Amino acid sequence: MLRIRCPWCGERDETEFRYRGDASQSRPAADAGLEAFSAYVYERKNPRGWHLEWWLHVGGCRRLLKLVRHTLTHEIRWVGNAEDQASLPREPGR
Amino acid sequence: MPGNASGLHLDTSASDIVEIAALRGRAPDVARIALERGVQLPALGRAVAAADHLALCVRPERWLILTPPASVGASAAAWQSACVGLGAVLDLSSALSTLEFSGSQAREVLVRSCRIDLDAQAFPVGTACATIMAQVAVILVALGSGLLLLTPASTARHFHEWLLAAARPLGFEPPSQRNDAAASDDAVGCGDKPS
Amino acid sequence: MQGPARIAEGLLTDAARPLGFRFDGQRMQGVAGDTLASALLANGRRLVGRSFKYHRPRGIVTAGPEEPCALVDVIGAGGREPNHLATTLALYQDLVAESQNRWPSLGFDVMALNDRIARFIPAGFYYKTFMAPGWAWEPLYEPLIRHAAGLGRLDAIVGEHAALAETVHDHADVLVVGAGVAGLTAAHRLGASGLRVVLAEQDTVLGGGALLDARWAEWRETTCDALAGLPRVHCLARTTVLGAYGHGVFAALETLAGADAANLGRLRERLRIIRARRVIFATGAIERLIAFPGNDLPGVMLAGAALGYLRRYGVAVGRQPAFFLNTDQAYESVFALAGAGIERVGVIDVRSGSLAAERARVLGIEVHEGVVVEAVIGRGAVGGVRVANRDGSQRREFEADSLLISGGYCPATALASQLGAALKWQDAIAAFTPELAPAAGRVAGAARGVFGLAAAARNGEAAARVIGAELGHASLAAGLELALPPDAEATPIGALWEVQARGKAFVDLQNDVTAADVRLAQLEGYEHVEHMKRYTTHGMATDQGRIGGLVGSAVLAQARGLPLAEVGQPKARPYAQPVPLAALAGSEVRQHLKPKRRLPLHDWHEAAGASFVTTGLWLRPLVYSRQSGWQPVLREARAVRTSVGVTDVSTLGKIDVQGPDAAKFLDFIYANTFSTLAVGRSRYGIMLREDGMLLDDGTTSRLAQQHFLVTTTTANAAAVLEHIEFHLQAVCPQFDVLLSDVGDQWAQFAIAGPRSREVVTALVADLDLSGQAFPFMAASAATIAGVAGRVFRISFSGELAYELAVPARHGLQVWLAVLAAGRPFGIRPYGLDALNTLRIEKGHVTGAEMNGNTSADDLGFGRMLKPQADFIGRELSQRAGLHAPDRLQLVGVRPVNRKRRLRNGAHLVAAKARTVSLGYVTSSTPSTELEGWVGLALLEGGRHCRVQRLLASSPVHNEATEVEIVSPHMIDPENVRVRA
Repeated sequence: MLRIRCPWCGERDETEFRYRGDASQSRPAADAGLEAFSAYVYERKNPRGWHLEWWLHVGGCRRLLKLVRHTLTHEIRWVGNAEDQASLPREPGR
Repeated sequence: MPGNASGLHLDTSASDIVEIAALRGRAPDVARIALERGVQLPALGRAVAAADHLALCVRPERWLILTPPASVGASAAAWQSACVGLGAVLDLSSALSTLEFSGSQAREVLVRSCRIDLDAQAFPVGTACATIMAQVAVILVALGSGLLLLTPASTARHFHEWLLAAARPLGFEPPSQRNDAAASDDAVGCGDKPS
Repeated sequence: MQGPARIAEGLLTDAARPLGFRFDGQRMQGVAGDTLASALLANGRRLVGRSFKYHRPRGIVTAGPEEPCALVDVIGAGGREPNHLATTLALYQDLVAESQNRWPSLGFDVMALNDRIARFIPAGFYYKTFMAPGWAWEPLYEPLIRHAAGLGRLDAIVGEHAALAETVHDHADVLVVGAGVAGLTAAHRLGASGLRVVLAEQDTVLGGGALLDARWAEWRETTCDALAGLPRVHCLARTTVLGAYGHGVFAALETLAGADAANLGRLRERLRIIRARRVIFATGAIERLIAFPGNDLPGVMLAGAALGYLRRYGVAVGRQPAFFLNTDQAYESVFALAGAGIERVGVIDVRSGSLAAERARVLGIEVHEGVVVEAVIGRGAVGGVRVANRDGSQRREFEADSLLISGGYCPATALASQLGAALKWQDAIAAFTPELAPAAGRVAGAARGVFGLAAAARNGEAAARVIGAELGHASLAAGLELALPPDAEATPIGALWEVQARGKAFVDLQNDVTAADVRLAQLEGYEHVEHMKRYTTHGMATDQGRIGGLVGSAVLAQARGLPLAEVGQPKARPYAQPVPLAALAGSEVRQHLKPKRRLPLHDWHEAAGASFVTTGLWLRPLVYSRQSGWQPVLREARAVRTSVGVTDVSTLGKIDVQGPDAAKFLDFIYANTFSTLAVGRSRYGIMLREDGMLLDDGTTSRLAQQHFLVTTTTANAAAVLEHIEFHLQAVCPQFDVLLSDVGDQWAQFAIAGPRSREVVTALVADLDLSGQAFPFMAASAATIAGVAGRVFRISFSGELAYELAVPARHGLQVWLAVLAAGRPFGIRPYGLDALNTLRIEKGHVTGAEMNGNTSADDLGFGRMLKPQADFIGRELSQRAGLHAPDRLQLVGVRPVNRKRRLRNGAHLVAAKARTVSLGYVTSSTPSTELEGWVGLALLEGGRHCRVQRLLASSPVHNEATEVEIVSPHMIDPENVRVRA
């Protein structure tokens, strides 16, 4: 089970959160066209390694969090708010 | 009020509850106005109890203010006019049920579902948090007198029943049912029952 | 002394408290403190079960949770529970247990024939045999396999058992797993320094190896007493850590002792979910077997188990034991048994010239060095052993009544492996030790290959120092400074995995896997250790192959010609031991299984005779009648069509939206426009998912310039709130908008029917409800029956209708006022069934049609999509495929023969091609006004073929009803009534 350090509520069990998908995807501009929107909705990298994710803290502050998680080890390297900028660590998947 | 050998007490009395949510950048203004009205708004994760109210904060820039019951929506309306343009003021008196749970074993019962560390050092008096217990949303507040639990009204009975069941192994006897149904039965008896 | 084999006082037993019990119908006596296994052994009982596959006779092999053979059924008041381990099951008065895997009796077992035909049922037998033909599976193969397979027998005990478990959430600075010498030392040092420690020990008492060595008794008692006095240390005996899940989360199963269970309302198990900042695995090492022919005969036991039975329960497992071993550590059992007065003790040591052998000889014990056991003599029980040199020469036989074996010790690595520890081969102990990343935790004592109690104590202390420093305690508080009895100098292990000779040599006693099976797996291509495991079932089931797992790997390594270090062991996964499902469910069972949401007026509805239906989590009144059939429903629905009815719609989701950007935000969330909505008006809206499909619908009202109230369907309330919260924060962070769930705040009632205006007018004093002043889709604050609330003129039924919203606490007062005001008109409360009848014939959709596969266009909402501005789902809703003419589109259906009924889910087919589905019926009901049944359906190209006739085919009902395709708007298609 993941323990997520919510910047607002402190460390909480995964069960309080709702996973909301890949946070590296940003919604295309309104006129970006079909392909851009298809990619936004359907195309995912499914990496073995670091992944930027949305988690909504529905069981707590109801804030949307952005976090950097390792898909293999589940290590959470960073947790921030929706508007925070995050970059993925350079090191590859362990 | 039910109580017994277990030392646990459960009290379910209603409060008026107002939620104030500040618009962007307006939290200091809301706090100032609250102070003018005699309410100190606490920081996130904290609760401040005063003689005539309890203020708590479990969501950023949102506060709940609990006061003894008055006329419908009066408290909300007063805050509403004080906070025009600064935020949303919502009457949640009916949305949340309050339950005060006290006694030396109260925390011992709650750890049967609460995933938050309720150790007195980790969750001292004056702490407040929102979490999930028995699969429903719960706001927990550590008061000097015990723990205050706020749960959504629609699942309050479910939560209450779960709490009694969890407390039973620790020797807590469920109180004789305060029969809500009796009141409505009477009303039905007045001739409003559908045929 | 209870039982002939009880030769001494045990550390745990109380001879003054005898306990009677029954095993396979035979009455026996044990004493308080016994396990079932120790009591059976005390009574001289050897045979306790039959093996899983060959049904060979089996005895007790271990003295703990790693037991592969002594699994029993316990018959209690609640029924029969299978797979209790006799080696951990605490004896109690009148315990009734039965052996497993035998029929009709343990002594004579029909399936034991399997043993004779064993060469025809090798590993993979079932895979190879029960292949083609496929038709034979259900009638033939499956019953056959099911009869033969499975451990134990399960009666319907679940419900009875379920009440007896609970979950507890724990938090600690440090979790110490295992209360042997290393774990006790670490826990004490950390706890004494003020850290919050949970010490979990699977045994009923703390001490581990110190329990078996009299020199350590004082150390153990002093340390345990000191721990008990530390307020921040929580010592949990009978608590097995089942899994390590990362992020400091662990699951542990605590079995409550009899006395606790009695105090806690017969509560039996407690699942503990432990969150710890750091962990120390002091899980010890597990003795392993040696594979040789006959190593499964009753009377063959691990050497350490024999020591355990003697020290803990005062039971001698044999009067003439032979030991077969390869380490000095295993001699502790030899010395203990000899010291307890067992005279005829013989030792077969694989090695030559060990220090321990020398000590044994000094004590007058017969030691045969450099030899191995080639066979066990005896049928049904050990009668003797045949030994030989390792090359098979110089065979000779010895008498023995038991054979106590030890192939060395494997550090218990399972939990550390679950946290990603790599296994590192250690030649010195011929075993793997876990290499755990420091961030994940520490391993201490025998679990990391540090054998010897004094060494383990020092190692536990070292681990405590490191962990303490990591948690900000640069120096720990003073320890107890107890003298540590010195560890004896030891000759290294002489690794031995298998003695190859004629006969079945088992590597896995529970699954009846032999060394030959492992070699066969390799031959057939299953040579990876994980494949071998799955092909042979080696290491599966309740014991997880703990005493023979490495032996199987060693046999495989030899077959592959690789070093064992390279072959490795199968990955350990949770759970480390069997867990009753009831313990996982904890207290959230029966009425607590999932939350029930109750309406503010639940009690009124109940008293009024409503039958309830669960929709999502809500309990909603279905119909105010216990009478079955459609008559009560139609009575309610017709009241609405002809006069007036009232229904409780408080379950609708309600989201309060406020802020300067509220209107802009709703324009983005909804497919249609809300910024143009006037204050005091409501509008029907649809939301799409970003993939262009319909998400939800509802009515949204503008209460003030910057204040909206969004309503959602009951079923989607939580999902829609999350959807818009996500988009506000992730996609529209620039908008200053506040979202609040006010669903539970408001009781909301729909008053519908041609007389509804008169009813509502009687309740609302401060609002002009005339058609002009308060037209269709008007919304206003109002005082309703003296309660400050809101009035909306919206309609789901298709009639003139109003919805009244008041704070839920005052709902009853207003509801009763509505009934009183409506009495002159014969007002009826109506339930969900009537609500459905009304909306179906009106052609309004719900979740049955908005099912996640339908687009706005499919349901006839295509023109609601705003053409210019952006909104969620806009781009992808324009995909050509979503506008294909053959998509399933909403239509109405009516049986041609008005006397026939419709079925939800019936497929629409052409009479000439009945196997080609053209669509299906989504909702159906008898109509209030039209003759017979009406329904809504999704039909290929439905909007353009309304004159067609099709069959509504429901093969499960053996029905095919001819239907005509009509407009979904079957009642008042011009919407005259709602605008009245």
